[in-house]
Amino acid sequence: MPLPAKAFQRWLHGVAPDASVADVARASGVKRTTLAQQLVRGKVAEATVVAISRAFNMNPVAALGSFEPYWDLGKPPIPPTLQELVSQIATADLLHAIIARTEPDAGTGNGTGTDKGTAPPGLGPPPHATSVKNWVDAIDDGELRHRVSAATGVAPQNYSAQLTANRLAPELAVATSRAAGVGLASGLVAAGLVTEAEAGWPPDARQAALDGMTDGELTALAGERLQALGKALRRQEHDQRQTETIWENLG
Amino acid sequence: MSEILPWITLVVCASAALARLPSAVRGVNPTLFLIFLLATAAGILSIEQFYMAIDGALGGINIAHVLLRLIVFATIYLIAVRVTKGFGAPDAHRMISGRPGLAMLAIFTAALVTVFLLMEPAASSVRFREAGAVSARNEALLPYYWAAARGYLAYVSLALLPALLRSVRESLPPLVRTGAALMAAGAVATVAGLCLEFAPLQLLVVAPAVNNGAVVFYTSGLVLVWMARVKAANRGGHGTSSTGR
Repeated sequence: MPLPAKAFQRWLHGVAPDASVADVARASGVKRTTLAQQLVRGKVAEATVVAISRAFNMNPVAALGSFEPYWDLGKPPIPPTLQELVSQIATADLLHAIIARTEPDAGTGNGTGTDKGTAPPGLGPPPHATSVKNWVDAIDDGELRHRVSAATGVAPQNYSAQLTANRLAPELAVATSRAAGVGLASGLVAAGLVTEAEAGWPPDARQAALDGMTDGELTALAGERLQALGKALRRQEHDQRQTETIWENLG
Repeated sequence: MSEILPWITLVVCASAALARLPSAVRGVNPTLFLIFLLATAAGILSIEQFYMAIDGALGGINIAHVLLRLIVFATIYLIAVRVTKGFGAPDAHRMISGRPGLAMLAIFTAALVTVFLLMEPAASSVRFREAGAVSARNEALLPYYWAAARGYLAYVSLALLPALLRSVRESLPPLVRTGAALMAAGAVATVAGLCLEFAPLQLLVVAPAVNNGAVVFYTSGLVLVWMARVKAANRGGHGTSSTGR
């Protein structure tokens, strides 16, 4: 649910008392027309607040926390769980890690890029191609989707559709965190709205979580990811073939 | 009102044929052009002035009407072949162009021609509407003529309907799904057209709207599917929507 324009104006006045809409737009990179339209409609997107707070060197999570629907984001952050951290590592990075671990001379410690070229490159920043779904799966106790649906009134199939499309509305992301009892900004990281640093995740937390996994855990996780990816790709290819057949005969 | 409907139908079909001409010249799915061309010919034969002139040239005994019905058979046959292939419905495809399908086509064609030959020659009248007034025998035979004329269309439409409805629900480009929905509406209207032949007289006033609607729905459905390809091709990569996103 986007933020009410009134509350946004009040917040903006506190952040940049003298700036005009044009100034704010220029500083934040939000298109002036977009910003004006959101103000006229009375609904300001969370992404707008994030962009503006970055422009004025504020923490976006704290900024969102000053709005009523997100009041609890202002509280001190709960650190991310290991599963959450690992869920935000791209599948390709997991595979790199497996390859690096099985290289013949990878035995000396968890290579941090010092020896030869065999060490994996640094992890790509979240979000990755299946961030949202992997995050929800990582914190799901089996009933999570139902609880989120009950708390927000969003139909389960619409919620699932967002996860599959690797999208998650900020409101739903936070509601999911609340329902799972994990750090409130984690979902915003998975949805790509804020960075892991902005959410208060320690800089090397994901790498440390990855290094802490046994070979078995890592391989099993990568296997799950590959299986899911394979399924998605096959479905995509099936749709693709079907469309091609339609073009061939009716296009 | 019912005088303007055939004109609307003709304009829709003729525009589609004209728009499809360049693709046909380039050799892209010429069947589609042929479908629109046949539909246009049927549209022309459904308009009084053209019908009288053409039938006059054919002897003035409504041979043009049999011709019109056969053109409509050919049109729906071609549409059905393309749609069942394109939307991947092998069962429906067999029911239309396999042995049973061709048998149906032969039976209905033979029935149509036989009933026509059994009737006493009647002076040209568009939509064959005055043929019944010529004699009691003609009046008795006319319902059979129309049953044969609309029966095959309804048969094909019923065979197509499941495949079309399935495609509406599948994860295909929105324009394709809309096109399939329009063709499904055309199929329903075609079946309704047959039912109306046996309906009470009060209902007959809607018959022209239903029958012309069927043609317009089928045609615009085909055009939309084609538009979907044009749109996909414009986005890059000849109708192959990117798999990257």
